[in-house]
Amino acid sequence: MSAGTETPTESPVPPTGAELAALLRRIAARDSAAFATLYKHTRAKLYGVVSRILTRGDLSGEVLQEVFVRIWEKAGDYDVDKGSPIAWMATIARNRALDEIRRVRPVSLEDMPEGFEPAAEEVDPLGARDRSERLTALMRCLQALDEEKREAVLLAYYRGFSREALAQRLQRPVPTIKTWLRRGLAQLRECLS
Amino acid sequence: MSLSPEDDFSAAEYVLGTLDPAERATIAARRQREPELEAAIRAWEERLSPLAEAIPPIEPPRDYLADIEARIRGSAPALAAPNEAVVALRSRLARWRAAAIGATGLAAMLAIGVVFRETTREAAPREFVAVLQKSADSPAFAVTVNLDTRELTVRPVSAPAPSGKSYELWIIDAALGAPRSLGVIDPADVTRANKIAAFDPAVVKSATYAVTVEPLGGSPTGQPTSAPVYVGKLIPVGP
Repeated sequence: MSAGTETPTESPVPPTGAELAALLRRIAARDSAAFATLYKHTRAKLYGVVSRILTRGDLSGEVLQEVFVRIWEKAGDYDVDKGSPIAWMATIARNRALDEIRRVRPVSLEDMPEGFEPAAEEVDPLGARDRSERLTALMRCLQALDEEKREAVLLAYYRGFSREALAQRLQRPVPTIKTWLRRGLAQLRECLS
Repeated sequence: MSLSPEDDFSAAEYVLGTLDPAERATIAARRQREPELEAAIRAWEERLSPLAEAIPPIEPPRDYLADIEARIRGSAPALAAPNEAVVALRSRLARWRAAAIGATGLAAMLAIGVVFRETTREAAPREFVAVLQKSADSPAFAVTVNLDTRELTVRPVSAPAPSGKSYELWIIDAALGAPRSLGVIDPADVTRANKIAAFDPAVVKSATYAVTVEPLGGSPTGQPTSAPVYVGKLIPVGP
């Protein structure tokens, strides 16, 4: 299974979405070499996803391991028509991290490391070569939102902020935050359809 | 065919991650049996997942590949070992055990609540929720406690109605000795109780909440007559 298939190896160039999709297909067929390759190329990306939400290093490492176990188990479910491989993996990672944070305690502002602004303008190399039409479309729709609604959605998505944490950060009562989220999300759905 | 706007918004907030723990557990349970809700969640994942492409990578502190491979081979260790509180509770609860649940199942249930207890916050939160469950993916009741109003609210998530029996809610804590009844709870509707007003707030916060199946109308003895079927501990809501 593993022999004869082109695998991105030590190359400094990150794999394209198509290469990651090929790795996922091999993993679905229980190819552990493909899994090791996928791990090597996506661990930092997925650690970036979970550690921004969890902020506690010990939990982030634990959750990262669980995420890769789930990727191994669910690789066969990946559907190329539903988004890029990295978006699919990151969804698994976010879900696990959110389950964890919503069980432990909400993110508190004091835990926030400095230096990550939720502007989402900065696109990392793994995604950049494959920067999808989907992301471009979504960014366009986000730009159309009021600034505070956009910030609320991005802080929640990237940092796992609860409504209460958003209320504290944005200096508005929780019901206002809920209304912003609701309007912002409705507007996004409209814009993307 | 059509999902209510309310449910679609819940699906969106589930994906975004802004539901509180009780709401999140409720949606996680409902998606298992409501295909329309499941489809709505998938649709929101598709809408928002491109954002993940923009997340800058961070190198993990060490290489986890060998650990992950070991887990895949089936030697996966549990997330965390039970701590002392779990061991103490387990021995106390074991006395009730009427062969309904095996000891390992009970330990797992208790570990879910106790291992993640957190007390590191300056402004003390006043609102708490507990998800009472058999296992992480089968929440049965969501309990909300407000320390200011001293009100306890129990919402059914997916508890099957016990035929000819009643569910009874108990508060269990070393400080209390024996389990104390918080009353019979409705498997189909919201139950409100103010009996927690009689307890020290510190005990209310740290206690374990358990549901047993009792004769219709509640335990005739004032003590549980069977093993708990659902267990959980409170966690704070809010920053």
